[in-house]
Order: sequence, then C-alpha cells, then structure tokens
Amino acid sequence: MAITELGQMGAGLAIGLASCGVGLGIGIATKGLMESIARQPEISGTASGLFLLGAALAEACAIYAFIIALKLAGFIG
Amino acid sequence: MSEGHWIVNTVLNGHNLSFNMDTLITMWSVMLVLILVAFISTRKLSIVPNKFQAFCETIMKFLWGLTDMMVKKEGRKHVPLVASLFLFIVSANLMGQLPLRLIHLQHGEIASPTNDLNLTAAMAIIVLVYYVTAGIMKKKGKFFLHGFDFISIILALVEILEMFTRPLTLALRLFGNILAGEILVGTILGMCAYGAPLPAMFFEVLVAFVQALVFTMLTLVYISSATGEEH
Repeated sequence: MAITELGQMGAGLAIGLASCGVGLGIGIATKGLMESIARQPEISGTASGLFLLGAALAEACAIYAFIIALKLAGFIG
Repeated sequence: MSEGHWIVNTVLNGHNLSFNMDTLITMWSVMLVLILVAFISTRKLSIVPNKFQAFCETIMKFLWGLTDMMVKKEGRKHVPLVASLFLFIVSANLMGQLPLRLIHLQHGEIASPTNDLNLTAAMAIIVLVYYVTAGIMKKKGKFFLHGFDFISIILALVEILEMFTRPLTLALRLFGNILAGEILVGTILGMCAYGAPLPAMFFEVLVAFVQALVFTMLTLVYISSATGEEH
C-alpha cells in the first residue's frame, strides 16, 4: 500500500474515532440539560446557553480530528 | 477552500513575505463594514432611540450582560476588546454565506476570512497578550508565582503550559469550524446543487453565532481567571 493510501485510511479512522467520543460527550451533555430543565423549568434559558457553550467546546475536539484528517488526506499543508 | 488561498510572495529588506490576498481583502471589507456601522449608529443619538439605535443598543446590552456575568469586578473596562472581537467574528463568519464566490480572483476564492488560520491565530495571540497584561497589571509578580511552596510551583508550570495551549485551541476551534462548514456546503453542492445545501447553510449561520459566542466567552473566562483573586 502506498503512503498516500495509508494516509487516507488514517484520515477516515481519525475522524471516525473522534466522532465516537464527541457524540457520546454531547449526548451526555444533552441528557444533563434535559434532566435539569425537567427538574427546574425556569432555568431553561440559562441552561440552554451554557449547554451550547459546552457542546461547542466538545465539538471542537472533533474539529481538531477533522483538521488532522485533512492534513493526512493531503488537502492542506 | 480546495483551491487554496491567493498567495503573493514579496521580498522586503531580504525577508521573504507572503500575503494571503483573499483573506486580506475580506478582512478589510469586514472592518470597513464594522467601522461604517459604528460611525452611522453613533450619529444623532437621542433619548428616544429610533429602530437602528435601539438595535445597536440591544447588541451592546447583550455584551455588557455577558461581561457582567463572567467577570465579576471591574468587568466593564474589558468590553471594548470583547465587543470588537464578537462583532468582528460574527461579521466575518456570516460573510462566508454571501455569494461572493461569483467574483473570480487569480487563485482561490473570496470566502469568510476566518477560514484562514493566520487570522484566527492573530486574534488568539491578541487575547493571550491582553489577558497576561491584565493579570500582571492587577497582581504584579503574583500573577506567575503565588508562593514558593511545592503546589504553587507546579501551578505556575501548568499556567505557563496553558499560555501555549489556550491560544492554540482558540485559533484551531474557530478556523476548523468555519473550514469544516465550507467543505460541508461544498460537498453537498457537489451532490445536488438545487436546494440541498440550504439546510447546511442555515446550520452554518447558527455555527457562525455560536463560534463567535464561544470565542468571546472563552476570552472572558481567561480574563476573569487572570484578574480574579484565586485561580
């Protein structure tokens, strides 16, 4: 197998494995948001804002993997 | 994105310089828009605001509220930097949704300026310099080292490590999100050009606001942790 093909395989693996963890993380965060709103409906505004921030922070991990995948597949740099 | 940037190489005093011209053009356009909006919105201020003034006051009230929430004491003096960053990033991200790709350049294409790592890295370094300066002005030498016991030295080392990782993650997060969005829209465009990219573009509008908010809130968190009493 040539080096570029291995690189493309690595790119697929990188983005796939990262998506596993990030999906789990955002799922757990959503669960927490649902539970807190069910318990205290009046904080839904504040909780949603904080949830968006946390979800974006978790999503950023997948974005790092995406950049690495782009590099491995030879799109950038 | 796949076409890359329009890079111009020059030599100045024996140093090789390369400019990403498309990023420069879009960045200056965004700054021009912001300066014009700021200039127009501060003319003819009145106690009873008209619609445009009320809109601008709502934005500023939102940013003041955000700063008051994150930085407890003397937070208002950090508003100029934080508000500029927020407005600039929002305008820059939303600019990528305009059909500016119709304008043809020599190489590359006109897209949102935040799809260039150089721009986001520059903003992250501005944030780093700002919060370190704010911390040193507030706490003098105690910003780096609280005392000479074991835990303080370990914490100081971790703090120095964070000075590298914080700008890195700030820059990569914004850059990666915008680049991923553009590649996503481009991929869907390749599959079906009519109507199919619309949901992805609406999602990109949401991402534009969320990423600007995340950048701003993290800036505030860093400032508040640098100027706060204890870490």
